[in-house]
Amino acid sequence: MAGAAVLERLTVPRAPVLWRVARVREVVEETASAVTLVLDVDGWPGHVAGQHLDVRLTAEDGYQAQRSYSIASGPEDPRLELTVERIDDGEVSPYLAGVARAGDEFEVRGPVGGHFTWQTADGGPLLLVAGGSGLVPLMAMLRHRANSSHPPRDVDARLLLSARAAEDILYRDELARLGDVMVHTTLTRSQPPGWEGSSRRVDADMLYELGPRPEERPRIFVCGPTAFVESAADLLVVLGHDWHAIHAERFGPTGS
Amino acid sequence: MEPAWLDGNAVAGLLAEALGEEMTVVERECGDCGTVAAIGAYRAYLGAGVVLRCPGCGSPGLRVVELTEGFSVSWARPGAGPAP
Repeated sequence: MAGAAVLERLTVPRAPVLWRVARVREVVEETASAVTLVLDVDGWPGHVAGQHLDVRLTAEDGYQAQRSYSIASGPEDPRLELTVERIDDGEVSPYLAGVARAGDEFEVRGPVGGHFTWQTADGGPLLLVAGGSGLVPLMAMLRHRANSSHPPRDVDARLLLSARAAEDILYRDELARLGDVMVHTTLTRSQPPGWEGSSRRVDADMLYELGPRPEERPRIFVCGPTAFVESAADLLVVLGHDWHAIHAERFGPTGS
Repeated sequence: MEPAWLDGNAVAGLLAEALGEEMTVVERECGDCGTVAAIGAYRAYLGAGVVLRCPGCGSPGLRVVELTEGFSVSWARPGAGPAP
């Protein structure tokens, strides 16, 4: 059998996966290119921080386009929220982050994903590393942590956020209010006068200084474009973090 | 240039539809290098279908192709040689 290509192949019927209608309740401008859509979804079963959902748009001629978006709201929040960054040549995001208005409807499937999730019961310490809008699912984790009635604040949480410029940072005011989360921000393209954060790409020194140390066995979540995630995950391994403790979620061009 | 792969988490919805369950938490041992990793940590290559490759060695572990009536699902059998 050496070298033989052995694949067990089977054809399976389509599993009954429920698409639900989501109605836009409110559109909140986050940055020049990102909005938060506050949604009402009948029968929404609830979610765990870090999960995403699939959005499907159907044109009048029946053409359908589908993309995944991270859920921004915490499980305890009263409304389901997605934060969507507009990709100018995208198929779905120009509608969601540009055209969609209160009262609009589209289809959603989910929540999906179980690997890139965190609940307060999972414990910490928590190390979150975000590249750009990779902050969205990590924000759901921080909101979950802040909303829990247990002593989640015992869970040490740190966030390393990389963005191009200050005006690209999502949830700026909310991040500033997270008093018990150590947040370090690096702005890679331009920095405002008097900027006290970093101004370079995420590197080993930055991760080392933010901590926690590998001996503390942090749960690590890295989300961003693929190149960002690959680089950050490699640096974390080099610093001695357990490969299995690093949960990563990549986004980028999907080729379809 | 941006790397051309995502990960198993990115295709969780498709996998759930094709396989009827939440697959990203399912752990798999690579038949080629022995790496044990959750499907969510596999590299996902998107083309006509999705190929999920071992994060340790890049060997293909699972391929899912959407058909008109359902899906074609191919698992690399543990211990099998490299798939095409």
